[in-house]
Amino acid sequence: MHIRKFDVDYGRRTLMKNAALGVGAGVLAPLWPAIANGADLGKVYPDELLSIEVLTKGKIKPGDTLTAANVDVVKDLLDPITYRQVKEMGRKIGIIAPPKDTSVLFPSAFLESSLKNKGKAKFGPDGNIYAPDGGAWLGGLPFPDAKTGEEAISNLTLSWGRSDYCQYAIRQWDMQPDGDQAYQYDFVWAELQAQARVDGTTFQNRKDLLRIQSVWFTGPSDTAGSSFLSTWYYDQKKYPDLYGYLPQFKRVRQFPTNQRFEPLLPGITWFLSDAWAAGDPMLTWGNYKIIGRQPMLGSVSEGWAGDKKNWEPSVHGGPKGKTFWDTTMSLCPDCIVLEAEPTGYPRAPVGKKRVWIDARNQQFIAYITYDRRGEIWKSFEAGWSQYSKGNVAMKDESGKPAWSWTYIHSHDIQSNRMTRIMHTENTTGGYKSQFSTQGVDVYNKYLTNQAIQRLGQS
Amino acid sequence: MDGSKAGRWLKTGLATAAMLVASGTASAQAEGDGSFFDGFLGGVDVSIGGFIRVENAFQTGDENPFNQTGNIYNNQTVARLPGVPVPGSPALSFAVPNPLLADTTQRTGIETSNNWSNYHILRGEVETGIRLSNDLSLIGRMRAIYDPGYDDFNANSVDFDRGGITGGDRKLYRGNSPNYFEFRPEGKRHANPLELAGENYLVYLPSLFFDYNRGPLNLRVGNQQIAWGQALFFRVFDVANGLDLRRHSVLDYAQEEYADKRVPQLSIRAGYQITDEILADAYVAKFQPTIFGNPNTQYNIIPAQFTVQDRYGDFDDKFSYGLRLKANYGQWGFQGMAVRRYNPDGVFRWTKSNVDKDLPTNNPLGLTVHTLNGFESGQTLANTPFEASPGGVYSAEEWFEYAAMVRLDGVAGLNAAINDFAPATTNLLASEVNTFDQAHNQLDTFFIASGGSLRGHIERKYFQETVLGLGVSYVVEAEPGSPLDQLIINLETSYTPDRVFTGIDLGQNFENHDASVTALVMEKYQRFSQSFPATYFVFQAMHRNADDLFGRSLRGYGGSRTSTPDGVGSANYVVLAAQQPFPNDIYRAAFAVLYDPRGSILVQPGVKWKPRGSITVEAFYSYINGDLNGNPNDTLLSTASFADELTLRVAYQF
Repeated sequence: MHIRKFDVDYGRRTLMKNAALGVGAGVLAPLWPAIANGADLGKVYPDELLSIEVLTKGKIKPGDTLTAANVDVVKDLLDPITYRQVKEMGRKIGIIAPPKDTSVLFPSAFLESSLKNKGKAKFGPDGNIYAPDGGAWLGGLPFPDAKTGEEAISNLTLSWGRSDYCQYAIRQWDMQPDGDQAYQYDFVWAELQAQARVDGTTFQNRKDLLRIQSVWFTGPSDTAGSSFLSTWYYDQKKYPDLYGYLPQFKRVRQFPTNQRFEPLLPGITWFLSDAWAAGDPMLTWGNYKIIGRQPMLGSVSEGWAGDKKNWEPSVHGGPKGKTFWDTTMSLCPDCIVLEAEPTGYPRAPVGKKRVWIDARNQQFIAYITYDRRGEIWKSFEAGWSQYSKGNVAMKDESGKPAWSWTYIHSHDIQSNRMTRIMHTENTTGGYKSQFSTQGVDVYNKYLTNQAIQRLGQS
Repeated sequence: MDGSKAGRWLKTGLATAAMLVASGTASAQAEGDGSFFDGFLGGVDVSIGGFIRVENAFQTGDENPFNQTGNIYNNQTVARLPGVPVPGSPALSFAVPNPLLADTTQRTGIETSNNWSNYHILRGEVETGIRLSNDLSLIGRMRAIYDPGYDDFNANSVDFDRGGITGGDRKLYRGNSPNYFEFRPEGKRHANPLELAGENYLVYLPSLFFDYNRGPLNLRVGNQQIAWGQALFFRVFDVANGLDLRRHSVLDYAQEEYADKRVPQLSIRAGYQITDEILADAYVAKFQPTIFGNPNTQYNIIPAQFTVQDRYGDFDDKFSYGLRLKANYGQWGFQGMAVRRYNPDGVFRWTKSNVDKDLPTNNPLGLTVHTLNGFESGQTLANTPFEASPGGVYSAEEWFEYAAMVRLDGVAGLNAAINDFAPATTNLLASEVNTFDQAHNQLDTFFIASGGSLRGHIERKYFQETVLGLGVSYVVEAEPGSPLDQLIINLETSYTPDRVFTGIDLGQNFENHDASVTALVMEKYQRFSQSFPATYFVFQAMHRNADDLFGRSLRGYGGSRTSTPDGVGSANYVVLAAQQPFPNDIYRAAFAVLYDPRGSILVQPGVKWKPRGSITVEAFYSYINGDLNGNPNDTLLSTASFADELTLRVAYQF
């Protein structure tokens, strides 16, 4: 039995103090040495930050389900839109215990790179992140113990999927305010890191690039073939180049790169800018600031529905019982609350974003945007998990269970439209999710102008 | 049931079956995951999707004047004044009128139709992708269209007049209704591979090809369409395929460009990503021509007084080929192309009618000519471009009116028909003339002699040409959010040395000009409000030195019912288009304007509504004014100015 040395609010008070002082993660001790040593987080955080039961004085415990009846107990552990979903729209969230082993919060190679390169990242005078030799970042988290807004956003931006190549087979459902499904899209999203790779190399010696990313829609038929190729420069002040193939034009055309706040397709609530809570080059946004640290409920583990067909879990809630994924959340002891403004996009409809970042793996667990009037607009809530469940697992290149995002709830609270997205095993067209190239020349297959022309099919 | 009727039923049944297959698939899928079908057969992935769409264009303009039932001389009485032939003397021939034999005429037995709809079809499309391996796929798309028809010309309705129309393909010129879909070149049964067509239905495969990818190499083999260039609607680099102008011609939603218009060709296309920045793209294709609307179909622009003999059968073993290099360097982009092709638009000239039908002897002129030809005037006429049948040109006035409308020279056209087909024409006492009045008198002479009207026969031929192109693009980077920021500028130009054009006299020697086409394109997304997504604007300007947007020689511009054309030196066009999505992009408003500064304009506002993934509703209005500035034959869009219409399309997707 653990003897509590402090009152139940000690942890929260210390987190706030740490935020104010610009101190890194950890309450009783620094977090990252414990992660590096595989130590118990019980030495880092007091009990109330590790146990929802302690924090809520027994009102909520693992195994419980958050509903409208009890959500007020944890209102301050949820972003305001998630709270409203549970309180007013019938969303239910299962509560599980937080993972004891922090390594399940990372792809294994990414964690190794983060530990290996810890302390080596620095900001250049141009605002970009560099290795000690002045070259591009070496791979892994550049700032595992982020203490500033710029450091926190770097962790999200430099490697989105945290593997050198990620290919996500995605299915998306867009729900109307009345709870009916209005649209359904299938697409594939591919990311190839050019630099800041966990294997320490530079892809094809492209030292000017950070990543090459493409997305191609495979269904339904009026959308299938729409493909976009985005080339990100390492210099985070530069907008990515954007080329697109639209089936009606039957050719690849150049698109303006700053249109990052537009609906890509009818009914979709998210913008390119929302992806990974860091969908734009980080220096095209500004006024980064950590406004606090706090415990939060987040979906960070045990969320993979690998035992379900095509990894698609059940749905519930909303007016027609199909607005929300069945999800679970656990207590995240220490979350950075980051705010930023789209200073490089003076005509953006977004006024600012607020991102809750789990200090353990520096990944976002909640994300809210505000409109220019300061009203809450949309959420982009992601679930994360190691890809193992019982006897089922999807392995990465090293033979360890892969790690990635599992679902997204993108909820436009002003129009009450919900886009729910699932990272699936495969999607229309036969494309499968994978976290390495698997020996395939993915660059030529998915990430060139010619590739998006081909993916456009007819 | 007679044989032809049975055949029609069979073919209509086939078309219906194709549509049912499509709709049946839709039902099957709808019961599945509600949208799309996935099948996984031992590593082979099959996906199928498609839509069914009802399309209707409500007529708010006029009947098509190039059709029999829209002819502007229908129900009009026109005076004809013949002249006196003076063979061998161009200065005197038909210079002296002969009022004794003057008469009046009407387009006998041909009534103007009054359709409420320009266009109504049921369309079904099914697309399938079969992933055979990581490198190899089979892609296919089937399109099926059914058009029930309109209040249109029945060629049998003029059989009382000199035995009716005799020459030309029976299915195109002598049926009891227009043939909406069959492309029927002379002596060629299946001019478009992978296409099944009848009068009222069309089933074909716009795409059916294997796609192979290995490293930087991409190969596509099969029936396919190829589009190059950044310019939309203005075709500068977009030269690989001809256009299919059946169905809705170029009057579909302008924002869709030529989505279903490029004629697919059996092709091998190879792409090679040479470096990250440079892409090579080459093709070899079996030549397929542009397909014009058939006579008396809704958007036909070849006057129905002509009988067209398409010689594609002599060219269907020809190939076109080309190479494009495209390079992107950040803000800059470059492209160059060289294409050796048969110009898919083809060119037209007079040709022998081969119709042996005597001139009637119930009028003095016909009797005279018939007698002078040994009572076998039909044999003589067969060696000229004319046949003495109804549904042709009835008066000199109509001749010149329509010559001007299609940008031809009525006097030069008459002389070419006479000189290029002598001695048959001179045996009929026709002779070259010098003046408009002489031509007028001579034409009326022969229309009277013919007993009503003469139909003209023209042939369509194809010529090889080399098209060279260069393009440059630049993305402006200015103050974020400013009007110039992220403005995309493209300049494309092509040059075709010695291109062959239809002569404005329809002469045997055609016309040859070095042709250049240049387009400037500027595109911009701009947000005007916080709640509405960015508005998309595109501005385009085009300059052509030899022909108009429809490929007609500019020398034929400026004619009228009372004068021959004086031509224009160049053609310039401006396009301004915009799209405004509403929040969540469920509604999308758009408008497009095509303006010819010589005096015509197309304005097309529209809206697209997608209330659900499976339902799409589109409405757009096409307003065409070809008479903004004096002579409508001096400007492009007068040719289509009859086609004001409101188009409504409702699609169900599966």
